[in-house]
Amino acid sequence: MKKKPQENFYGAVMVVGGGIAGIQAALDLADSGFLVHMVEKSPAIGGVMSALDKTFPTNDCSMCILSPKLVEVGRHRNIRLLTLSEVESIEGEPGRFTVTVRERPRYVDTDKCIACGVCADKCPRKVEDAYNQGLGTRKAAYVLYPQAVPLKYAIDADHCIYFEKGKCRACEKFCPAGAIDFNQKEKVHQIDVGSIILAPGFTSFDPSGMDVYGYGRLPNVVTSMQFERILNASGPFEGHLTRPSDHKAPAKIAWLQCVGSRDMHEGANPYCSGVCCMYAIKEALVAREHAGGDLETAIFFMDMRTHGKGFEQTYMRARDEEGVRFIRSRVHSIEPAGPGSDDLSIHYVTENGEIRDEVFDLVVLSTGLEISPEIRELASKLDIDLDRDGFASTSSFQPVATSRPGIFSCGAFAGVKDIPQSVMEASAAYSASAALLSPARNTLTTEKSYPPEKSVADEEPRVGVFVCHCGINIGGVVDVPAVREYAKTLPNVVYAGDNLFTCSQDTQENIRKTIQEHRLNRVVVAACTPRTHEPLFQETIREAGLNPYLFEFANIRDQDSWVHQKEPERATTKAKDLVRMAVAKASLLEPIDRLQLEVNHNALVIGAGVAGMAAALNLADQGFHTFLVERSGVLGGQANNVRTTWNGESVPDFIADLTRRIQAHDRIDLLLEADIQDISGFVGNFTTKVKQPSGEKTLEHGVVIVATGGVPCSPQEYLNGESDRVTVWHELEQLFEKEPERLAACDGVAFIQCVGSREPERPYCSKLCCTASIQQAIALKKARPDLDVTVLYRDIRTFGQREDLYREARERGVLFIRFSVDQKPTVEKVDKDGKKMLRIGVTDPILGRPIHLYVDYLNLATAIVPRPVEDLAKMLKVPLNEDGFFLEAHIKLRPVDFSTDGVFVCGLAHYPKPIEESIAQAQAAAGRAARLLSQETIDVEPIVSVVDQDLCIGCGLCEASCPFGAIRLVEVPGKGYRAENISALCKGCGVCAAACPQKAIDMKHFRDRQIRAAIRAGAERI
Amino acid sequence: MSETFEPRILSFLCNWCSYAGADLAGVSRLQYPPTMRVIRVMCSGRVDPGYVIDGLQKGFDGVFISGCHIGDCHYIDGNLYTLRRMAVVQELLDLSGIGRERMELKWSSAAEGQVFADNVKKFTQQIQELGPFDPAPWSLSLSALERTLNSPRMRWLVGSSRQLTEKKNVYQETMPEADYQAIVREAAAEEFEKAMISVVIAEQPRSVREMAELTGLPVYTVSKRLNELERKGQAGLSGYDGRTPRFLGVPV
Repeated sequence: MKKKPQENFYGAVMVVGGGIAGIQAALDLADSGFLVHMVEKSPAIGGVMSALDKTFPTNDCSMCILSPKLVEVGRHRNIRLLTLSEVESIEGEPGRFTVTVRERPRYVDTDKCIACGVCADKCPRKVEDAYNQGLGTRKAAYVLYPQAVPLKYAIDADHCIYFEKGKCRACEKFCPAGAIDFNQKEKVHQIDVGSIILAPGFTSFDPSGMDVYGYGRLPNVVTSMQFERILNASGPFEGHLTRPSDHKAPAKIAWLQCVGSRDMHEGANPYCSGVCCMYAIKEALVAREHAGGDLETAIFFMDMRTHGKGFEQTYMRARDEEGVRFIRSRVHSIEPAGPGSDDLSIHYVTENGEIRDEVFDLVVLSTGLEISPEIRELASKLDIDLDRDGFASTSSFQPVATSRPGIFSCGAFAGVKDIPQSVMEASAAYSASAALLSPARNTLTTEKSYPPEKSVADEEPRVGVFVCHCGINIGGVVDVPAVREYAKTLPNVVYAGDNLFTCSQDTQENIRKTIQEHRLNRVVVAACTPRTHEPLFQETIREAGLNPYLFEFANIRDQDSWVHQKEPERATTKAKDLVRMAVAKASLLEPIDRLQLEVNHNALVIGAGVAGMAAALNLADQGFHTFLVERSGVLGGQANNVRTTWNGESVPDFIADLTRRIQAHDRIDLLLEADIQDISGFVGNFTTKVKQPSGEKTLEHGVVIVATGGVPCSPQEYLNGESDRVTVWHELEQLFEKEPERLAACDGVAFIQCVGSREPERPYCSKLCCTASIQQAIALKKARPDLDVTVLYRDIRTFGQREDLYREARERGVLFIRFSVDQKPTVEKVDKDGKKMLRIGVTDPILGRPIHLYVDYLNLATAIVPRPVEDLAKMLKVPLNEDGFFLEAHIKLRPVDFSTDGVFVCGLAHYPKPIEESIAQAQAAAGRAARLLSQETIDVEPIVSVVDQDLCIGCGLCEASCPFGAIRLVEVPGKGYRAENISALCKGCGVCAAACPQKAIDMKHFRDRQIRAAIRAGAERI
Repeated sequence: MSETFEPRILSFLCNWCSYAGADLAGVSRLQYPPTMRVIRVMCSGRVDPGYVIDGLQKGFDGVFISGCHIGDCHYIDGNLYTLRRMAVVQELLDLSGIGRERMELKWSSAAEGQVFADNVKKFTQQIQELGPFDPAPWSLSLSALERTLNSPRMRWLVGSSRQLTEKKNVYQETMPEADYQAIVREAAAEEFEKAMISVVIAEQPRSVREMAELTGLPVYTVSKRLNELERKGQAGLSGYDGRTPRFLGVPV
């Protein structure tokens, strides 16, 4: 029998680039049955995100959310990490590639290096530290950053005295581990993989060439990346907000937006970098936090582009509550404030043409993102097409597929994007790889194994306490050494230590060692929050032979240092109390056995718009039977109103193609005109009742993807609904298409932006509308160059390469007039020279005077609102945000997951977004779902209720109060009825335990005696 | 009320909404007083009514419980049980004279960092106005409250509240809410009286008059409740002091 070609596919994938995108793709792949080779050119993974201080819009500590992922990559059995390595060439076809990778010598034997840092101490050569953006120095023997993975030192041969002069070798002499090896040579690897994911990232624009800003000449002009390092606790100034020239704390800081972006000059980039507005706001807020609130901050900008989820609200908070000044202006130049002064004078022109000067202590240049020459070279070596700006060419409909089949992209390589979008694309690239290689799944991977669990039943509790500084997030407020010393005095505590970042990889090793050395049988970590970091530490203690439930968390960051920033002493007292409570509970913790459930391998996708269709197709291509449920009778959702994407690709053709593939796919069950009546069950085992005109159906499935979409709203404003000349979104172009004579008879058309958006009752930005209106304005100008086309806007938000459209519109003569929310335009019906027209009144911000426009038609860009999904959200037990969009598990790093396992979100149900982002998110959701579906069994939380049948009197109150049917009465011979647990159904809420009249029910991990011990400990006073 | 008094508040937050909302307050750097000592539970429905009393007995100045909004419970309706239970706890706190203001039940979602922070501020202020809670003078009441809440009768009544008032029994009847409330109030008062008597005769035999003095109950009420305790085998005659009978509690 002839073998099918895909049976020869390699079940391995190469991920090029170890930034957040590469990391996410690698973890998704490695967790779902593929071997990953991760190639990183620097000595450690982490990328740009590792160097950031905080992340917007929540100002989460960047390292804190990244570090668990770094650690996971570092210790994953199915990820092979190649650092200091670069791809040379790729041969072969999709499914069977051979990649040549060149690995530069580290001159340190990673098996021997214990990361003690003696080599760096003894190294006599100081080198400008590129990781700290040149603000400090490091040695030629160095580690990239303190939490680096792998945490192994490297010798920088370009600066090493031994390589320059032939002698020194101080590092070698002093290394206690004998790890220095100057004989290492470059290695060339040939690696077989089925597909390749390129995630090489971006570089920050270098403003040295722009003389007007004085960067490089004026020491207190820094880039945003430098400012991130200034703010960072492990940065060159250890998190003290000081300026480079004299290390004085600045009292006044300015940010200049669009440095190197939206700029047609030679050497700059025409596109908008999309993230700088938000990071400038974030930096201003964080700087104010560091400075204690007295700091003056000002952001000089052209358009404020806060178009993502939660962004506009952050902007409003910065402006209205934190006093950050936003100055709409063009900056002319920066000069010293006076002869010999380190202060800086910014010369700028306001919107209405006034020329002004203002003096600041420090100026931050919000530099854009760009593709480095090295990455362009890599692309040309690999035969990948790039666009004019150097980004990988992708289609809106296949947002992660490069021009070369089998090679995928994610992150900023295919266009500027923020972290959540990069993470989504990473999961989408994994998903696309998995669809290609699904027959080879599980062919090269191995299962993780743990050391046998130590029995702690007969031992006295021996508790170890690890207190985290979290950079300065905790240590800046709470006296961490005092908490550590206090912990040592608590009953059962045999060890207490503190760490700069308890979540870093070396600390995991340290925790494991400490468990061995001190024979710990319970571990307490006092740090951020169990909601994000408990799994990491549970994994660590499991690797040291402890049951993961012998772990307790004390939340001294999110619920202490961050919320009591101005009360360090009281925050320290609270931290001690919380540690004491955690130790008291930990001393009584018991090991809990794993609980495994079989997984139903079907998927349910709710909503057959573009997102739902893309998700369903990807799941089906990966081999999973998928139910695609749609409430209406048609496929395509909102996209049916859209003619082209922003860059001109045909949406109707795409929908037709998707529809054809879905209808032909034997693994997709399409249910139209279907209403979801009920969803019950849990991850791996859901049951959904669906009602169709033909009758009711019950579907069994293991995961749910929510793609319920959104719709433009239609507010009663600007004569909407009162005049047939006022239209919404795509209605105007549809009208002109149907009745071309209307366009022919037209003198003027206007667009009003932000209708029902960015107002107190609906604060978010709908993201799509600026681009959509400008696209339509251009189309009108193309059809009728003499037509007056006006766009009334608040900020033009043509993010990324959409900036081209804005430029084109202005070149074609589209008039843009800005208005402010407190002076909204007025619209009235008038007769002008015998013609029925609309008169629009607006205050021109440049003239400062009201002006009037006469137009035939007015098209409104109204807010995109979510569908009413409260009932669905309740059935799935997932949250909605205050705007009615689904609230994901983590805004940065889990953008398609919910806290509830087995449920995922994509498309407009999550937030308004353009079609390519919906598709990427849909593929990501499908990928995350497939990661579960590809397993035979899954571990579920074994925190369940336990009945003591000796105490039970069989009253049945527990059975009546359990909504999951997880406890029932059974007849026990000679005793009558007794309650019995059905652990697989138990969700662990504990309602039964609190209800039982006999107190015969207890909850694992939340036992009565454990809670009472914590109460007792919490009430003690030091 | 002294200006420096900083309350210490025992706080139970459900994992899915309120604990997440408290974390969000942190992520958003919303500042609130450092008064909370939080115990994370999976659902506010895990909070045994006894924990509130336990907290006050051990020396907390107040107890704060927060879960998902009604209808948003991660476990469908666990918070409805919390609502019922804590209403009874507050009723009993009033009955004992400690006052319901020492305890607060508030809902807040994972997206409501601000709501959480505001709730903490308000409750902290409320406790500041009440002043510190010293459990010593209340020790009889607190022990009695603990007994009351642990009594099978109260646990049954509270535990079956939703079955009684929301669901139909075998005769297709539901109990009107007002009737249920009246029964609970009556039972709470009776059980609390019995509990106080049980507490004072737990360690040493006492006469009816002594019991009346210690509990502050009328002699008639003491004899009536003592009678009930005797019938249930929870108290018994232990001897005579002259002609005065003395009674001792029987451990349950």
